[in-house]
Amino acid sequence: MAYEAVRVKTPLILKILPAVSILLFFGAWELTVDTGIVPSTMLAAPSLVLKLFIAKLTQSNPDGAVLSTHAWTSIEEAGIGYLLSLLIGLPLGLLMGWFTTIRGLFRPVFEMIRPIPPVAWIPLCIFWFGIGLWGKVFIIWIGAIVPCVINAWVGVRMTNPTLIQMARTYGATDWQIFTKLCIPSALPMVFGALQIALAYAWTNLVAAELLAADSGLGFLITMGRRLGLPEMVVLGMVTVGFIGAVIGVAIDMVEKRLLAGIRR
Amino acid sequence: MSVSAIADEIREPVEERVPVTLLRVLRNEYFLYAVSLVLFLYIWDWVAKAQILGRSLATPHQVVRELARLMTVKLAGKTLVGHVWDSTRRVLVGFTIASLIAVPLGLLMALNRYVNAIVKPVFDIFKPMPPIAWISIAILWFGIQEGSKVFIIVIGTFVPCLLNSYNGVRLIDPELYDVVRVLGGHRRNEIAQVCFPAAFPAIFAGLQVSLSVGWTCVLAAELVSSQSGLGWIIIQGMRLTKPELVIGGMAIIALVAWTTSLLVTGLEKLMCPWKRQVEGL
Repeated sequence: MAYEAVRVKTPLILKILPAVSILLFFGAWELTVDTGIVPSTMLAAPSLVLKLFIAKLTQSNPDGAVLSTHAWTSIEEAGIGYLLSLLIGLPLGLLMGWFTTIRGLFRPVFEMIRPIPPVAWIPLCIFWFGIGLWGKVFIIWIGAIVPCVINAWVGVRMTNPTLIQMARTYGATDWQIFTKLCIPSALPMVFGALQIALAYAWTNLVAAELLAADSGLGFLITMGRRLGLPEMVVLGMVTVGFIGAVIGVAIDMVEKRLLAGIRR
Repeated sequence: MSVSAIADEIREPVEERVPVTLLRVLRNEYFLYAVSLVLFLYIWDWVAKAQILGRSLATPHQVVRELARLMTVKLAGKTLVGHVWDSTRRVLVGFTIASLIAVPLGLLMALNRYVNAIVKPVFDIFKPMPPIAWISIAILWFGIQEGSKVFIIVIGTFVPCLLNSYNGVRLIDPELYDVVRVLGGHRRNEIAQVCFPAAFPAIFAGLQVSLSVGWTCVLAAELVSSQSGLGWIIIQGMRLTKPELVIGGMAIIALVAWTTSLLVTGLEKLMCPWKRQVEGL
């Protein structure tokens, strides 16, 4: 048999090392705090964070809400901003990729807004919307719309020109080429945008909540600092990281299912 | 007619004379750019003057005048240039530290399985945490001085630097290694002649991403607590309810970020001309 599969054996040590590394990391963290190398006012031991996590599932002291409420507030804000940015950003990007008129009208404004970090919009948002839900939604929206527009646009521009010429030869109209050729071929890039935009949305959410909020995970972190409770800060950070990772994996799975037949 | 005369006739460039019609001018991309900019400024001016958003939007004219005033009048002991330099310095220091550690570490992780097995799990824990979430802990650790801001920037720029250099090496076409092996090269030839040149564009892209992340981080850190810098100017504008100061600060940030990314792109073209480019962006 010429095409027998080659099996490369992974050495046992390579399987053990990651676990050892994680254990060592948490062990070192716990030890540095417990032995007092790092004062407990600056860093909380992982065991303490875990204890607080269990307590925060049911208690609303001292920051006014249980953990799930904070998490839900954040998810709601990020979700609305994210969906709005997809709804506006993707069609805009696709249209900008194909129609010169739309590109000409929107590109300069887009290029002006693009280099401004979303964080810089926070003061204006507070002026315009106050510290409620919609200010944060606006910040998330303006941050997440940039990758949506760029990816959709690049996706359309990377359509194979031979296919476009063939469609023209067969007498397809501009609109037909756009809907039948450009949009499908931009799909992989669009899915890339979904993921990037989500990561942006989650990052900007924390920034928005650090400055102006009355609940949410970023607010939890800020309160932890104000009250001098490092375990609360760490708990907030870990929760933010964990939810972000879960959402990322979920999108990855959806993408694999939907784009199963598309070559990249 | 001689053959060469026919050839000359054929070689004559076939140029279709395009009549300049109104429709053609209207659909010209650059003309549309100009229209778009003028419209944008005009609408902005109108919205600000009609006070649709209350008093919290300044006209473009006010913003420019405020910026011109800040060039000479000192705000918290520094002119505008001083504040820009403060932010830039923080970004540069943090960016330099992060790239000096992250790029070699990423390369090492991609080249050596053992290093990868040790570092990757810990890195994966930190990766999904937004750098801005670190601000609080940075303030607990380093106070509100320079240290905490530089720390945030280091954390934020570290991730894209490391990821890009790691993936840059891992996504190299395996055939390139085979070529080196067939030609009798050793492992160090593979690394020197395939890994580095092939991963260089990815590393550079990582540096560019991390510069823009660095700008976001420095702004966030300055918004939360600082006495100077562009973020401070914006937050000061908010405290004094001077929208022209806020918008002026945002414009300067956009300008600086845009200039930096232009510089990095230029540097990249200079340093790795073998990179393939996506047309039209």
